[in-house]
Amino acid sequence: MSSPTPSKRGFAGAIFAVVLALAALPAFAQAAPVHLETASPFVVLAGTAVTNTEASVLNGDLGVSPGTELTGFGVAVVNGATHKTDGVAALAQSDLTNAYNVAAGQPILLGNNLSGTNLGNRKLGPGAYQYTSEALLTGALTLDAEGDPNAQFVFKITSSLTTASASSVVLINGASPCNVYWQVGSSADLGTTTAFQGNLMALTSISLKKGATVLGRMLARNGQVSLIDNVLTQPGCATGSSGSPTTESGSADSGSSGSGSSGGSGKAGKVRKTTHNGTAVARPTPREACTAGFRATVRGKMIKRVVFSLDGKQVQSKGAAPFVVSVRAAPGTHTVRARVTFKDATHAKTVTLPYRACAAAALHPRRGPSTFTG
Amino acid sequence: MSPGAASGPHPLGARRRGAVLASIALAIAYAGLAPAAASATQVPASQPLVVVLGGHVARSGPSADAARIEPVAARRPLTRARTVLPVIGEAAAGAWLRVRLPGRPNGHAGWISARRTRSTSTPWRLLVELSARRVTVYRGGHVRRQFRVVIGKPSTPTPRGAFFVEEALALSSYEAGAPFALATSARSNALQEFEGGPGQIALHGTDNISGALGTAVSHGCVRLSTGAITWLAKRIGAGVPLTIAR
Repeated sequence: MSSPTPSKRGFAGAIFAVVLALAALPAFAQAAPVHLETASPFVVLAGTAVTNTEASVLNGDLGVSPGTELTGFGVAVVNGATHKTDGVAALAQSDLTNAYNVAAGQPILLGNNLSGTNLGNRKLGPGAYQYTSEALLTGALTLDAEGDPNAQFVFKITSSLTTASASSVVLINGASPCNVYWQVGSSADLGTTTAFQGNLMALTSISLKKGATVLGRMLARNGQVSLIDNVLTQPGCATGSSGSPTTESGSADSGSSGSGSSGGSGKAGKVRKTTHNGTAVARPTPREACTAGFRATVRGKMIKRVVFSLDGKQVQSKGAAPFVVSVRAAPGTHTVRARVTFKDATHAKTVTLPYRACAAAALHPRRGPSTFTG
Repeated sequence: MSPGAASGPHPLGARRRGAVLASIALAIAYAGLAPAAASATQVPASQPLVVVLGGHVARSGPSADAARIEPVAARRPLTRARTVLPVIGEAAAGAWLRVRLPGRPNGHAGWISARRTRSTSTPWRLLVELSARRVTVYRGGHVRRQFRVVIGKPSTPTPRGAFFVEEALALSSYEAGAPFALATSARSNALQEFEGGPGQIALHGTDNISGALGTAVSHGCVRLSTGAITWLAKRIGAGVPLTIAR
């Protein structure tokens, strides 16, 4: 068979494009990612005040803005920075507002309106869920990532969130508290000894009763956060990994991936990893090390196919060497994963490569006259 | 060029042509949706652009014999910055590019030769939803920011359609709409000229100008808070697609 002419290829491209367009339309179900940006380091952030009673432990930053009140922390332990009405807290509040709005704008599938039902004693998959009034949690809520560590859960709650005593949020099958967002339209009240997980973003206030624990963040936009003998931990959101093939990574701009580690030792499954130009492999990238782009190389024996994904979305599938991918992503921390399958009986491996993309250079518009309609 | 933009020479490869066509198809689907749906629909991650390096003539078809629509200057009138246009199609193996054009009639397009141009792209995209009095900023197909805005009053409404940012300006502190403006390809349907200009619609600040965010009191422009327009001006350059929807 002869190869298609350029014009035929163009037609095929058009057909493919239309297919892409049609495929894109049902994407209502897909939740947009929520980014906390500079609010991420905070385990507690409030608008007016943070009050504490008894010996709470905060593993993460504590902040208040524009309010100034931080009371009762003489007996508490804060394993993080404290930002009281400073620029850091103000910026974090700004980013919290944006994250809150993005969460509030999530599309909701018809079956995901849970209004009038209790969150307790049920298991939910990834997606966005809605309560048109208040939400109650009595018992255990299980969030199942179905094996996708990037799976996102968003709860849009128009008014309040209340948890009964000893309630809990349980994450299974790779679900991460980093990717669970609670957008609460008024205030949240976590009952005594509640074991809560996720990023709680309340328009007004958040109250934790005695002994409640949090793996996530308590972020109040306009009101206060009150604590009573609680333990709150801001989750480490970077992922580690193990993998069989040799991997390399580096700045896509530096061309560094052509050098570095050699292949495996002759048997599929041998592991070795290297780092180039300060870009980390399989561990969180240092905050000061960032790159505009990122290139990852997988080398090894008996590799059948490598499927690369960026933040959970497949970006390349290669059935022959070199197994290389170059990606560019928005500023922030990202994860490139390489799913490696082998020609022999070696089990498939997944290699995880976090990296941090630098913020783009700021533009500087030229001066010009204001001659618009205003 | 927008931050993160990728550039390369023409003619465009088959893969790039496919991307352009995909972008066109997606843009059509995107522009045709109601606002509520638009905010939920997948947004293209990238928009192909072309930097105009010399004077061109926009034509009605991909041929030098096609009817002449209008001249396309290499630089914009307000800042003398390079003209950057969204590419919405191509023909003759990339030798001709279908581009959006600035000015009246709103949303019009034409064909220019790919000679004396440079290809690039932008991950940014703006959506103004008039009913929600809101602008949504996308990067790489994902929502990055949302801002409350002032829109045109009923007698001078903000025009709807598919547009782009013509040029970004820093305004003097005493000027209306300071500190920044994103001059767009849209023109007022009510005002043929305004303040010596062609009735050009811009996204700009609220310095030296009245009107509360969330209201419809402007002459057609979209006004944002000082913080919002400053954030945009640092990121949004010429050529960035702008959809103004109901």
